[in-house]
Amino acid sequence: MVTSTPERARTPGADWRVGLSDDQLKELLYLLKLCRYFDERMEALYRQGRLPGAIYSGRGQEGTHVGVAYALRPEDSLFPTHRDLSAQLTKGLDLKRVMAQYWGRIDGYTRGRDGNSHVGDWFGHRTWTVMSHLPIAYPVACGAALAYKRRGEARVAMGICGDGATSNGRWHEALNVSAIHQLPVVWVVNNNQYAYSTPNPLEFRVPTIAERAAAYGMPGVRVDAQDVLEVYRVAREAVERAREGGGPTLIECVSLRWRGHAGHDPAKYVPKELLERYMREKDPVARFASLLIERGVVDEEEVKRVQERVENEFDEGYRFAQASPFPVPEDVTKGLFTDDGYWASEPSREGGTG
Amino acid sequence: MAQTGVESAAAGHGAEPRGKRTEDGQATYLVAIAEALWEEMERDERVFLLGEDIGVYGGAFKVTEGFIERFGPERVMDTPIAEETIVGLALGAAMEGFRPVAEFQYADFMSSGFDEITTALARYHYRSGVPIPVVLRAPSGGGVRASSFHSFNPEPWFAHTPGLKVICPAFPSDAKGLLKSAIRDDNPCVFLEHKWIYRRIKEPVSEDPDFLVPIGIAKIQREGSDVTIVTYGMMVHQALEAAEDLEQKGISAEVVDLRTITPLDKDTILSSVAKTSRALVLYESHRFLGVGAEVGAMIAEEGFEHLDAPVVRLAPPNVPVPFSPVLEDAYLPQVADIEAAVEKLAAW
Repeated sequence: MVTSTPERARTPGADWRVGLSDDQLKELLYLLKLCRYFDERMEALYRQGRLPGAIYSGRGQEGTHVGVAYALRPEDSLFPTHRDLSAQLTKGLDLKRVMAQYWGRIDGYTRGRDGNSHVGDWFGHRTWTVMSHLPIAYPVACGAALAYKRRGEARVAMGICGDGATSNGRWHEALNVSAIHQLPVVWVVNNNQYAYSTPNPLEFRVPTIAERAAAYGMPGVRVDAQDVLEVYRVAREAVERAREGGGPTLIECVSLRWRGHAGHDPAKYVPKELLERYMREKDPVARFASLLIERGVVDEEEVKRVQERVENEFDEGYRFAQASPFPVPEDVTKGLFTDDGYWASEPSREGGTG
Repeated sequence: MAQTGVESAAAGHGAEPRGKRTEDGQATYLVAIAEALWEEMERDERVFLLGEDIGVYGGAFKVTEGFIERFGPERVMDTPIAEETIVGLALGAAMEGFRPVAEFQYADFMSSGFDEITTALARYHYRSGVPIPVVLRAPSGGGVRASSFHSFNPEPWFAHTPGLKVICPAFPSDAKGLLKSAIRDDNPCVFLEHKWIYRRIKEPVSEDPDFLVPIGIAKIQREGSDVTIVTYGMMVHQALEAAEDLEQKGISAEVVDLRTITPLDKDTILSSVAKTSRALVLYESHRFLGVGAEVGAMIAEEGFEHLDAPVVRLAPPNVPVPFSPVLEDAYLPQVADIEAAVEKLAAW
């Protein structure tokens, strides 16, 4: 197992920008800010009673989500959880359609059949439509990776789950099978230290999740996810190894879940000092903005402009979602099977705008 | 149909599965299933098999014996004992354009892959529109003294799960034609092979590589006018035997073989009941909330005007399948039970 730390990444002579251009660094900043702002605003709307359903905040974990997903190519597939919307946005999902999904509208990726971050866009951005039973998509990622290997395609599947899901049997099954067949897959564990309310020491006995990799015969890396560049560097290495036929890698990204499991959970079980320390010292978004300013890639003004762009996009997405029609109630039984052609055709819309 | 020698190819291809037709060209249920798999693998490169011990060993029931020699270990993939991941592999490969056929060693072990089947496989299309061409094959059912963990009938679980097509053929021709249809279908199909039927029932079976039996259509296996017996799987054979005996007693029983549990062919059931006015629903899954509970309710709701007697269910009690032959026979509906139930209905 390799433990990666920001200090290691900052050793003299190391390329601090890990091979990324200025434009790419700025893109990362935009994605981090977009994901943070989206998360904050959606929670505010939820608390105001203006958002139906549930929210699952990924705040504080953007370094993981943006870092790992940025290492993927468009043709690679991503199998995330409800916590990982930021990874899906990084993969390219349209914020407007994501927001339409939150309000149960026809323009949402699931056409109103699911809500919140239980979203995905398989036909477009090759992301799995999220399910709650975790890590339900880990075995499925094996199947996608098997397809790439069989056809000799240079593509990679990436599965993400939290520390909580590593206690489930499927996590072990999937890692084992991926190693046996040397499948082109990257396993990411977003270790935010809590499985709902259960802390790491009540989840597993070994000191780290990454060291479990050895038991399956694959490399394991533990990375401090406050540093998006280091997460990206580690993920890119794993993705390229998988792409070149080198088999799977397990990456444990360590962060802290700043908010509760879901919107209703005040997370009083997280020690206040721990949370405050993470928010003060290990904020992946603030750290990255400071780094880019410090290195002269952007100035304060540009950071402000990125923030404005993000806010405008959110507002645009909100307006789009509110204007999007609801699905037609009569369609509730359609599209269970391919036989009725529901998904192959344009959806009918309440109000007849379709 | 043409005579097919023992050594001739099962499906007209160079290599062949080990399971052979009889000298007069008949195929057992097991051979018919092997032929369906073989032909579809020859026809479509995207079809592949995966499961426990299906490659070198040829499967617990030897359905895939000889396949690995022809198609190789990539298309006849032995997996670890990891049922959730077997289903997940099939689902993920299907999402990427393959048409996987996964074998469960016994239908009982589908519970070990339950979440991937009922949550992932079944519910993915409705929420995403992605076609999921996956077939899960599994030997189900009792009557072979295999006790509690090798005799189960899981069809109500999967029939109750929206998004799965559930197929339970009773005859070799239907098994072959329905399996080929399932493999060509773009939706997840649970294909339950009754292990009691595997080597007991044989008949002439089409060798046409495009021989298909449509999913969702029941079949009248025996025409009659007094009582309708709605059933599927092994119970079709018990029902036919009972109908033969009942004929001697002057009672004409019609046997409706569902062949597919979901989608359910209501039309065939209701038109038979319209003719006979009496329905016995016979099934091998547990009586309480089993397949017959839905069929019985449907007849009562949609065919009430045809009925001259209450709809009657005959099915095993709500206990696990027991081992001792005495107990298993008490558990499973016997031919005599069917006859008694039909006679009572006919006298109504």
